[in-house]
Amino acid sequence: MDTRRYRRRQRVWDLLESRYVVHVVLFFAVLFIVGPLLWMLLTSLRTNAAVYDLTYLPSNPTLQAYHVALIERGFWRAVVNSVVISSVSTVVVMAIGTPAGYVFSRYRFRFDNLVFTFVLLTRLFPPIGLVTPYFRIMSVFGLVNTRVGIIIANVYLWLPLVIYIMRNFFITVPNALDEAARVDGCTKVQAFRHVVFPVVKPGFAAGTILTFLYSWREFLFAFTVSNDLSSMTIPVATYLFVGDTSVQWASMAAAAVVATIPSALVVLFFQRYIVTGLTGGGKG
Amino acid sequence: MSDTADRSREEGEPRNEQGRDSKVSLAIEGVTKEFTEDDGSTVVAVDDMTLDVYDSEFIVFVGPSGCGKTTTLRTVAGLERPTRGEIRIDGDSVAGREPRERDVAMVFQNYALYPHKTVRENIAFPLVIRKFPDDVVEERVAETVELLGIGELLDRYPSDLSGGQQQRVALGRAIIRDPEVFLFDEPLSNLDAKLRIEMRTELNKLHDRVGKTSVYVTHDQAEAMTLADRVVVMNDGRIQQVDVPEVVYERPANRFVAGFIGEPPMNFFDAEIDHAEDGLRVRTDAFELVLSPSVAETVAERDGADIVEVGVRPEAFEAVAHVDTAVDESRLVEAHVTVIEPMGSHHDLTLRPVGAGDDESAEYTARVSKDTDAVEGERIRLAVDTEEVHLFDATGENVLA
Repeated sequence: MDTRRYRRRQRVWDLLESRYVVHVVLFFAVLFIVGPLLWMLLTSLRTNAAVYDLTYLPSNPTLQAYHVALIERGFWRAVVNSVVISSVSTVVVMAIGTPAGYVFSRYRFRFDNLVFTFVLLTRLFPPIGLVTPYFRIMSVFGLVNTRVGIIIANVYLWLPLVIYIMRNFFITVPNALDEAARVDGCTKVQAFRHVVFPVVKPGFAAGTILTFLYSWREFLFAFTVSNDLSSMTIPVATYLFVGDTSVQWASMAAAAVVATIPSALVVLFFQRYIVTGLTGGGKG
Repeated sequence: MSDTADRSREEGEPRNEQGRDSKVSLAIEGVTKEFTEDDGSTVVAVDDMTLDVYDSEFIVFVGPSGCGKTTTLRTVAGLERPTRGEIRIDGDSVAGREPRERDVAMVFQNYALYPHKTVRENIAFPLVIRKFPDDVVEERVAETVELLGIGELLDRYPSDLSGGQQQRVALGRAIIRDPEVFLFDEPLSNLDAKLRIEMRTELNKLHDRVGKTSVYVTHDQAEAMTLADRVVVMNDGRIQQVDVPEVVYERPANRFVAGFIGEPPMNFFDAEIDHAEDGLRVRTDAFELVLSPSVAETVAERDGADIVEVGVRPEAFEAVAHVDTAVDESRLVEAHVTVIEPMGSHHDLTLRPVGAGDDESAEYTARVSKDTDAVEGERIRLAVDTEEVHLFDATGENVLA
């Protein structure tokens, strides 16, 4: 009798675990994610005037909204800003974060754990609390409305994360590898360059990509210090389409599409690295 | 105990023929290594260690984990700095020198192959980093892989290799530099049992061919006995005995060495000693033996030696058939057989002294011929080889060694 109940339960589970159920769940998940993106794309192909037309597909697909956004409203300058700011931020963050992560993974020094905890704490602190002092500092140094001002914010935001990620990657590299390299004839720096760093290259790639993506989409600090297109990044510029009296939905959607393309490409080509980076370098 | 080391250095003859007259290749002079724990306390890993390793000698450090053998090796390599003392390689003090400046090569426990480099690049790395010309590198790589029989693996990555192959590559990376001293840190411990024995034999052959001074660390006494010209038995950061394997086994310097070397381990019995006319009478809870007059003489020479314990190796027992009356009563032992472990070539018996009742702690082991008709739960009569009995004084020193 017990075995019959057991079998019945097994049948229920077999059904729940079947392909069909899995596919239905996946379908809704994809709909949930892709739906808004598709809507955004479709909206961007309308004119600002035609946004409220009661059709799903734009009746006269046009790139006019893109023209308005990129050329007339000067949005292309935000694209340039974003590329420059994200690239420079990424280079700076990786150049500091990689050696820092290595040191935290290998060396014992006075208060090492305390310093590392402090690094992580800066990441746990809600950034909104820092907006006011950040703006004050930027204005004192005359960095309001400059790309440098936003780069500094990005470095502050993502450096702790990269130190943490890189440290985790370096921890997966056995110490014996450094030691073997040093016995084989390397200085400590050579051991890092010829042996340890090449082994964590996938981790380094993950860190680079994540920093770029995060810098690309950063809004709060960029919004705080820039109010014109000389330094404004894409997310901030996109927000400009929200006017006092009306929202230019089509232009905003067009700007959003432009903002999405690079990150979508990066994710598409480097998703393997991003997954390892987000899981903290469990596997190198 | 350090005088034990000094004494056996005079007595123990290295197995290789160059032996005593050859130069000292590696000298460890009064090395102490202390570590500071997180809570601020100090742990002494190596305690005032002194040892000379001769040219082309194969020295094996053996001891339980935490005895300081690996720390000593790492100190020689330059991966740890000694707290006190000095290390000389080929006569020169290497104090303050980086590992790369010491002319040593090391094989690590988990091989430490560079995963992003091919076998060829791994083996060539010590030369490449030293900027040897390409043609020299190529030639030396070819020689090395031929020596190790791994020519067909050159273009593979370490992750594609079996444990034994990785081991050979690690050896190759050490050999190619032709260093003054080879250091091995438990290099076989990650291999399965069969492969370990194969590689052990191979290491032996390799050392015969390459003939370099080698220091080898292991916790496996079988490796120590089979590979070593001289065995260094360590415990608690101190050298317990340095000698050729046969002497370490036959004349262990103290109770620790006696118990550590030999498998199954030596049996120890609290003992009382009487000087009888026919020799030395040893009385324990398990048996009463009369040792030969020559033993009595040796004990007498060690004036005032206060023997408190007697050690008998399992293989010093021999089963006696009932009919065999030729065995001298003075070396007979009677016991209950509690467990019989057939090992194929022989049986290991767990025995309980006749008078011990249920006391498991009184049990001891004997290794007897597989033809012995022992029955679990029944009595057995064994003869002890009285030449193979070890006597220890209160400090644990072997009185007969």
